[in-house]
Amino acid sequence: MEFYEMTAVQLSRKLESKEISSCELTQAVIDRIKSVDDKVKAYLTVNAEEALEQAKAVDNKRISGEKLPKLAGIPIGIKDNISTKGIKTTCASKMLEDYVPPFDATVIEKIKANDMVLLGKLNMDEFAMGSSTENSYFNVTHNPFDLDKVPGGSSGGSAAAVSAREAIVALGSDTGGSIRQPSANCGVVGLKPTYGSVSRYGLVAFASSLDQIGPIGKSVKDVAMVQDIICGRDKMDATSAIREYTGIADSLTGDVSGVKIGIPKEYFGEAIDDDVKTAVMNAVHELEKAGAKVCEISLPSAKYALPAYYIISSAEASSNLARFDGVRYGYRAKDYTDLVDMYEKTRSEGFGSEVKRRIMLGTFVLSSGYYDAYYKQAKLMQRKIAGEYKAAFNEVDVIATPTAPFTACKIGQNIDDPLKMYACDICTVTVNIAGLPAVSLPCGMDRSNMPVGLQLIGDSFCEDKILGAAYAYEKLVGGFAAPAL
Amino acid sequence: MDIDIRHIAKLSRLKISDDEFAKFENEMKGIVDMVNTLPQLGEDLAIDENNVMQLRKDIAETGKFTRDELFQNAPQVKAGCLVVPKTVE
Repeated sequence: MEFYEMTAVQLSRKLESKEISSCELTQAVIDRIKSVDDKVKAYLTVNAEEALEQAKAVDNKRISGEKLPKLAGIPIGIKDNISTKGIKTTCASKMLEDYVPPFDATVIEKIKANDMVLLGKLNMDEFAMGSSTENSYFNVTHNPFDLDKVPGGSSGGSAAAVSAREAIVALGSDTGGSIRQPSANCGVVGLKPTYGSVSRYGLVAFASSLDQIGPIGKSVKDVAMVQDIICGRDKMDATSAIREYTGIADSLTGDVSGVKIGIPKEYFGEAIDDDVKTAVMNAVHELEKAGAKVCEISLPSAKYALPAYYIISSAEASSNLARFDGVRYGYRAKDYTDLVDMYEKTRSEGFGSEVKRRIMLGTFVLSSGYYDAYYKQAKLMQRKIAGEYKAAFNEVDVIATPTAPFTACKIGQNIDDPLKMYACDICTVTVNIAGLPAVSLPCGMDRSNMPVGLQLIGDSFCEDKILGAAYAYEKLVGGFAAPAL
Repeated sequence: MDIDIRHIAKLSRLKISDDEFAKFENEMKGIVDMVNTLPQLGEDLAIDENNVMQLRKDIAETGKFTRDELFQNAPQVKAGCLVVPKTVE
């Protein structure tokens, strides 16, 4: 087995016992990127030289006998909307094509404090708006399981890089499913943590009340280990929760006996492909055979989550993206007559179509005379949906659903139909609306041999329960398949 | 439902070119129809008192960045200032 194929858990042991060095590992992953990324196109920036320097520094610390954190020396890829000091952070937009942040996001500070190695920056839908990574200004990322298909989105580069073994783990961000849906499409594990558990400081804002950074990995324990280091209160993010966290990775036992799993019937309707339903229910039955208790539940307002999501997220996006005006940073149009003309030309030339649609939808729902009908109603629906989840978690520990209604689509298949693209998010947006944690993990293949994702949703700050059940499933099936590249 | 795309674009500080306009209008109508499926709930919004934010004190921190670092991404800088088109006649 090559180093780049191993999990962070395996590599952590090998590094600690000095069986391998971080330099060897980092070089192996960089070589892997060189050999497959011209097909996958997951990376926008590869930080090879600095990554090897970082790896060498970690190796030196280890040789000198310093006690190092568990993930020290392990290479990680970062979605390109998370600020990295001195490394371009483009949000896959022409608007930020040359933008180099003067500071690190809090999660990057934590990654560095844990001596992880920054491999580079990963492709995404422009400003995290999309479900296929086709909205990137730079290039389309390909699904490692079938290069003619999309990796999902918006964290498509992050999921594809882990799937193609071009990163040991990666960070993504999830506003409506952007970690979970590409993880499902690419056959990897992706966690959207509880809103407020991971600092958003340095994450380029899309919809601030829904955005959350989270980890993607090849195994459940890898994801838990990364979550354990990135979570925590941060004074730089007033929405980060004030609480203490206990480590999840060490608490995973693989025992699922007595865990109550709820199956919401609303998530298994006509919109969901039959192969997806079958694979998800087979996974639930595996957990049941291992001692979990399964029951049907109802989340009646789930169908309203998609319109509520597009209202809230677009409203916040229209406000957040007002900062891109060509004055302080980013793209500026070349020819203009006055200030307003400069704003309009800069924004029209700098943003892609999907970003413009969302800004316009957001502007519309917040405009005079429409606020009460849209934004206020969406916020009320948000409260109703959160209440229904709260009630469900009085009865069950974990809710199991498909992550996405269907497996990865062909490149170009939905790009001209925004509403079809938005429908990719029907199983994931409710979780962001309710602020809950959810993990997507692979649960078999469909008829075209593409990975299907099982989504396990938990109550606020109950990442341990969903990752516990996910870990049990991973052990039952003996791990997850890698693509043949 | 009819929405005035040109007006919304103006509020958004976006220009939609004539060739793109029909496609954009059509897509926006579809999206607005989708969000219109949201039912009207006759309730009031209230602040969640169990989840109050704690803001940090508004104290300037010095030494974190240099002026040059903050200006490195600016499209146009002159004499240590950002250059913008004339705004006051």
